[in-house]
Order: sequence, then C-alpha cells, then structure tokens
Amino acid sequence: MASLINNANGAVNGVVGNVEKLIIDTDPGIDDSMAILMAFQSPEVEVLGLTTVFGNTTTELSTLNALLLCEIAGRENLPVAEGSSEPLKGGTPRVADFVHGEDGLGNTFLPPPKGKKIELSACEFLVEKVSEYPGEVSVLALGPLTNVALAIKRDSSFASKVKRIVILGGSFFALGNVNPAAEANIYGDPEAADIVFTCGANIVVVGINITTQVQFTDADLLQLKESKGKYAPFLSDICKFYRDWHVKSDCVHGIFLHDPVSFVALVRPDLFTFKEGVVRVETQGICVGHTLLDQGLKNWPSSNPWTGYSPVSVAWTVNVEGILDYIRELVMKP
Amino acid sequence: MATDTEPKKIIIDTDPGIDDAMAIFLALQSPEVEVIGLTTIYGNVYTTLATRNALHLLEVAGRTDIPVAEGSHLTLTKGTKLHIADFVHGADGLGNQNFPPPKGKPIEESAAAFLVHQAKVNPGKVTVVALGPLTNIALAIQLDPEFAKNIGQIVILGGAFAVNGNVNPAAEANIFGDPDAADVVFTSGADILAVGINVTHQVILTSSDREILASSNGKFAQYLNKILDVYFSYHQEAYNTKGVYLHDPTVVLAAVDPSIVTCIEGIVRVQTSGITRGLTILYNKQKRFGEIHEWSNKPTVKVAVTVDAPRVMKLVMDRLMDS
Repeated sequence: MASLINNANGAVNGVVGNVEKLIIDTDPGIDDSMAILMAFQSPEVEVLGLTTVFGNTTTELSTLNALLLCEIAGRENLPVAEGSSEPLKGGTPRVADFVHGEDGLGNTFLPPPKGKKIELSACEFLVEKVSEYPGEVSVLALGPLTNVALAIKRDSSFASKVKRIVILGGSFFALGNVNPAAEANIYGDPEAADIVFTCGANIVVVGINITTQVQFTDADLLQLKESKGKYAPFLSDICKFYRDWHVKSDCVHGIFLHDPVSFVALVRPDLFTFKEGVVRVETQGICVGHTLLDQGLKNWPSSNPWTGYSPVSVAWTVNVEGILDYIRELVMKP
Repeated sequence: MATDTEPKKIIIDTDPGIDDAMAIFLALQSPEVEVIGLTTIYGNVYTTLATRNALHLLEVAGRTDIPVAEGSHLTLTKGTKLHIADFVHGADGLGNQNFPPPKGKPIEESAAAFLVHQAKVNPGKVTVVALGPLTNIALAIQLDPEFAKNIGQIVILGGAFAVNGNVNPAAEANIFGDPDAADVVFTSGADILAVGINVTHQVILTSSDREILASSNGKFAQYLNKILDVYFSYHQEAYNTKGVYLHDPTVVLAAVDPSIVTCIEGIVRVQTSGITRGLTILYNKQKRFGEIHEWSNKPTVKVAVTVDAPRVMKLVMDRLMDS
C-alpha cells in the first residue's frame, strides 16, 4: 500500500501533517539531482514519488538516474514511475547530453541502480496519487510537460484535484536557451506545455529569465565541496561537467540553478513575486516553444488566442540572496 | 562639412492615420529633412483611403509638390484579409471629420517602384520611414536586389521587443499586418532601425498637451486638435489612460535626429504563423547557442531600446505650434 511509503517518509522527516505531498516529474539531469536531493532534505515536503521524462537525457536513462538518486538518499522504496519516451506529437526527443553528460550525471558513470521502476506509467501514477489525495498533492515539473499533459488528458478531474503544479519552463520576455525564442523544457514538448498552461489548474511557472539570475559561482561550488553536506561529494562530482558547459556556453564561471530555484518556488514562494496572466505556447514556426504571457496591460478590442483561459502565476522577480541562502542550507545539510 | 547641412531625403511609407498625420506634419516642419515622397499602405485604413488621406494632408500643408505613390492593397503573400484599425483612427482614418476629397492624384508609379527608383537615383541618400505594415518595402526588395544596398536607411515603426503587443499579447499592429513582409525586410541586410512599441509607449501626449496645441495658432496644431478625439477615446477604452501614444511622430523624429533613441544591435526575426503570428524576436548575440537556429547567420539591425521622451515631446509641441 502507498501508505507504507508515506509513513516511512513522514518518519524520516520526523514531521506529521502540514508537510506538502509532492511528486517530482524529472529528467535527471545534474540540476534535477540537486533539486531532488534538496527535496529529500527538506522537512516541508513529503516526496510521494518521482516520475521520469526525456530532456536532459532519454526517459530510460532518467528512470535509471531517478532510481540511483533514491538509492543514494536511502529512499529505495520510493516509487519511480517511468514516463513518456517521446513528446505528444511523437518523434525522437532532443536530448541535452552536451549539458549534462552522456549519463545525465556529468559523465560520472556510476554503477547502475539495483531498484526497479514501478509498473504504473508516470501519468497513471500522477492520476492515482492526485485522486487519492485530492487537493493535497503538488507536482514539481522539471522537464518537458508530456507526462503532466497526459495526466490531464487521462483524467478530466486532474487539473482541479492537483494542489498546484510548479513548472520550470519558458522564458518570459527574455531569450530562450535552445534558440532565441525557446527554452529547452517547453521546446521539448510545446503541445504538452500549451495543454498544461491552459488546463485551469493552479500553476506556478518559473522561467529561465528568473532561474539564470540565481547562480552558484565557483566559490559556492568549492564551499559545497568542502562542506559536511550529506550529498555534497556526489553533487560536487556531477557539477564539474555542468560547470564547464556554463563557461563555454554563457561565459558563466559557475552554474545556473534552474531546478533548485523551481523547488524553492514550491516551498518558499515568499522569496519571489509573481505576475498573474494567461500563458500560451507557440507550437509552430520559427518561434515554436515560445512562451507568451498576457500581462493584462490592455483591454483587447476582440478575442485572441489568450482570451478565455485561466491565468497562471509567472515568477516575476526573485530575492536572489534569500534563495541562495535557502539552497546552500539544504545542499550543505549534513 | 557642407554635406552635413544638406537635408536628409526621406520617403514616408504611411497609412494615415491620426498619428501618421502628426508624423507627416512634423517631417514637413523639420529643416533637417526633405520629404521627397509619400508612399501609402493599408493598416490604419485601406490603401485607397490611405492614398486619399496622404494627398489631403499634403494639401492641408500646402505641399502638393510632394508626390504620393500608392502602395499594395494586399499582403506580400497576396492576402486580402487585412487587419484594419479603423476603430483606433475613425472610419475615415482621420478622426471622422469627413474632410472634402483631395484634388490631387497619386503618381503613376507604384509605391515599390517609386522606392526602388528613388533609392537608385540617390544611392545611400534616401531614408525610408515606414509607419505601416512593411509590404511596400518588401516588394521593393523583391523588385530590385540592389534596393537593400541602395537605400540609405529604413526606420521602422514596428514590433514589440520583450513586451506584449498591441493587437494581441504577441503582436504589434504593423508587423501583424504583414508578418511575411516584415521578416523579409528585417533579414534583407539593409541599414535598419526598428522602433517598437516598447519605446513608443513611453512617448505620451497628455490631454493638457492637447489643450496647449488647441490654444496655439499653429496651423498643424489646430488641425490635429480637431482629429484627436477618436484617438483619445480609443486610448481611454484600451489602456484606461487620458493620453495618447505618439508612435509615428517618435519614429519620424528618430529619423530626423537619431540621437533621441539609443539602440542595440541584433538579428530580428518575425513569426509568420501560429498563435504568435507577428511576434518579433530580437537576438542580441549575447548568448551563444549550441545549435544552428533560425537567427544564425542573418544580418543585424538596430533596435531602439530607450528614448528621450521629454525631448521628443518638446520637438513635437514646438514644431506643431510653430506652423
């Protein structure tokens, strides 16, 4: 029974009640690994399971890495549900192995996990957990939104039953990171992203216009390495490859903390300000994957593709120091 | 230094339009430039009416010596379903004043042919100020492969750079009017300065500015005060403001004196399909991408990012009142 896992989790955290039930949809991924291990270290959340998707790696490799992370954290019993291996429209997904390494974990080539994924697919697991605890389960979506879109399509009550969906994705009024128009997660499955943004669920989006403001510098990485953090040695190892890519790509001597920042948006929304508005995703042409927020500055004379949809919360400003302090504390926690 | 005092030759490609009328009058009042022609386009009104209004405005100004060349009635891809903003400018484009029809006629040459011709006879010397959809300019580029090189500069009112559009959240009206033409123009290699609504929304004529215009004896100030009602009502409804955006005047003045704006340089592409049709994306080359993309290896343009709004307003007021 699922309750066994929940009890185990609650006991580890030593907190009963008031903890947020969380499913992390992820493509680990170096910064995903950091966010997942932060979630494991955080008393504010109870991780119900991990669901996997393509993006930083293939879905298959994401699943192996998710299992590996559970083992590293001593959470062997945590369910890992494998997600879709391709975007909604089909085709081979684009995989960012040049950012995260061939193995998705910075070419550290760790031994394979002993554990196995569960029988349920990612979208089945999402629907099951959200139905089991209506209004209580949050989803942290760190990769392309295929699994979440499939859950919405599978169960018409998913959008209203999920507590909220916190998404790392998009670039609002700023350049993308795949090309000038698009950010990688949304570009990975634009059709899915448009379904999710317009589904009516309580949605929080953190774009790379926000996450690229929050960086671990080389000095922060050194501090992490020398810390007594439970997962510091592992994280330091996998971050090397990621850091070198940032130097090459963005002249940043350090790393962007995309996924960790998105996790912080879930547990510490007070460190952000948000703008409410309808978000749509372009699914064709040269700007495929572009996320566009209607800021509501104009009374439109007639209806347009943004009209009639529920607004979502888009992260607008960040307390950079506050977020960095929070991340440092969790990744260096013994 | 003698060449510096020679006025810059400009052709205004326009869809008058209330703020177009203001822009045309400002150009005529600016000794720094010599208006050598108006070319017309759909946008605020249909092209036929734009031509009528252009002729009418030149008659009001007593400048019937300036030729008007009629432009395209269709988009670059022969689209006939045009987006016409008569709800912004009135059914007649000039604030529903029902002015008498002009006596003059457009010249025989089409707008595109006129642009090509003028650029050829004055290579590097003609500035086009494009205040509407970019169909005529794209047609000129297609008509003459040398046009992009012959034209001095193209100063464009168009796009919404890193802000919402004004037709819908994605698109600004001029680019939305003919996205295919806009993409042709932005990637043509010509010397281009694009001024988007991210900049023109900073230049606002308030109702008290309007009162000052109304109380002056300036001919153009008086004329404009009459036609501004519709434009003020539209801004009240659309933006809850008691002022109006001076899109076209800002752009004409940027052509007159480029130092009123600051720019960055980058590649601009226009989305031509989908829900964000008409979206303008500027790639300023600050970030490198791992893969070849649709912005790679395209010529750069200048995009205005700031404007000295008080200086623009002073020029607008001074030049319209002194007429």
